[in-house]
Amino acid sequence: MKDIIKIGGKLAIICATAAIALGLVNAITEPVIEEVKKRRLEEALARVVKEGQVEEIRTVERDQIEGYYPVTDSEAEIIGYVVKLIGLGYGGDMHLLANYAPDGTLKDVVLMENKETPGLGKKAENPQYMEMFIKAGGGREIPTRKDMLSREDADSVTGATITFMGIANALKAGSDFIMELERE
Amino acid sequence: MIKEFTKGLIKENPIFIIVLGLCPALAVSTQVVNALGMGAGVIFVLLGSNIFVSLLKNFIPPRVRIPSYIVIIASFVTVVDLLMKAYTPTLSDNLGVFVQLIVVNCIILGRAEAYASKNTLGRSVLDALGMGVGFTLGLLLIALAREVLGAGTITLFPMGNFNGTIRIPGLVESPARVLALATGALLVVGYFKALFNWMETRKKGGA
Amino acid sequence: MTYVGIIITFVFIENFILTKFLGLCPFIGVSRNVESAVGMGFAVIFVMSLASLITWAIYNLILIPLNITFLQTITFILVIASLVQFVEMTIQKISPPLYRALGIYLPLITTNCAILGIALIAVQYEYDAMGSFIAGFSAGVGFFLALLLMSTIRERLDLEWVPKPFRGVSIAFISGGLMALAFMAFDKALLRNLIG
Repeated sequence: MKDIIKIGGKLAIICATAAIALGLVNAITEPVIEEVKKRRLEEALARVVKEGQVEEIRTVERDQIEGYYPVTDSEAEIIGYVVKLIGLGYGGDMHLLANYAPDGTLKDVVLMENKETPGLGKKAENPQYMEMFIKAGGGREIPTRKDMLSREDADSVTGATITFMGIANALKAGSDFIMELERE
Repeated sequence: MIKEFTKGLIKENPIFIIVLGLCPALAVSTQVVNALGMGAGVIFVLLGSNIFVSLLKNFIPPRVRIPSYIVIIASFVTVVDLLMKAYTPTLSDNLGVFVQLIVVNCIILGRAEAYASKNTLGRSVLDALGMGVGFTLGLLLIALAREVLGAGTITLFPMGNFNGTIRIPGLVESPARVLALATGALLVVGYFKALFNWMETRKKGGA
Repeated sequence: MTYVGIIITFVFIENFILTKFLGLCPFIGVSRNVESAVGMGFAVIFVMSLASLITWAIYNLILIPLNITFLQTITFILVIASLVQFVEMTIQKISPPLYRALGIYLPLITTNCAILGIALIAVQYEYDAMGSFIAGFSAGVGFFLALLLMSTIRERLDLEWVPKPFRGVSIAFISGGLMALAFMAFDKALLRNLIG
């Protein structure tokens, strides 16, 4: 019996020391991790929003859409919306940040966190990849199938069709959402 | 003394010879940078756990030694996970859940149980470094084969005006994409293992 | 995601062995014959379902309220290790025949990456209790499926001529790779078309 208490006590000491040590490390890293998250979002926002002031996020309960930031000019007039989108890619969720004009036309978009395959789907992280979608939406339909692309663009998405469709469908959902929002 | 270090590099190379610790190794071998990051994480955990297990070998009651080792290892894994999230967020995203899975890497518990619990601090440190570096080299080899042949690139850290990716002309346009996919990892390990077997039998035949 | 979606995801699309390489050690080690593959497979299904349910409860009912989610790894691995011990003792008492069939595989499970893997992934995907349980069960079934297929392939391979350096582990990996290639036919887009 005494033995068990001794053994259990020693194990408890090890666990307690470990937990305290981890608590200390966590106390140091937690603010840094928060800071990193904030900075990443700000950087991505700066990449898609070239003009205007980004307002606070409004969350939305909707498939593929997490929320949106209205973008305003100096007279507080809405000149666009940045929408946080989730596309379904080959490796799971892909997080996108897309800037739309009020009529639903895509101005700019970046692919943020994703788990696509390097050399295939990961190519979508390049800004050039997104050029096939920019200025689509609103007037011109967003290409969601490969046969809606030019020959060159269709070639460039070959091998990563699922990534392409995931991004395209999310962008279309975002565009439709903005058009609905404006009508209200 | 130096043998404690070098045995992990070639003679007992953790990945190819003992075929241990494959789980975390394969999933992150798609890019060279991930292999290096995972290697660094494993070296850190291995070093930390070997040091503590060796220091505490008289304190830890033999009957609960495995749970004690697991607590020590899991603590170091959590430290690595938190540090990566804070200071190398991109790497942390790429490695994802596989950082936490270092805890069940057979190599680490294996070294704590088989080596550090019986040897002095100095020897345990060298053993950890040797095994850790050996693990990293093995993983690097798999990642190099997969990324060079499968994507035609070598991804390292971005430094200054170097964006971090070396593109290999001729391969980057039409790589053997299958190697970048999940199936490629198993194929590459299979072929490497065969190569090592072949070298082994040749060495024996020659001697 | 619906429960059907979770099942299809973890059995086929994100098969733990073939796409995430979790549980490779037993995949190569215990796939020499069908009989041991079946034993191992059932043991894994059982422990995975239980483990994902219990770790869900610990994460959502203890770690989150106390704001100590950074202790996730350490608590999960301890819970899994004690769970395996507990299951082993219970089976030994309640059903000796079952213990004889599964017993020797249970200790091997503690350091099986797949168990900790499903616990961590179920938390990451933010499933509810039922979802976590189903995810654990399906991941176990996926593991069982891959292990069973592999063991039949290997029984067959024993009868075939294989170049000498490739014999054993090497050809097992290559066969596994080809199997993973076949599993690539299951993808998320297919799932979305099937169940919306």
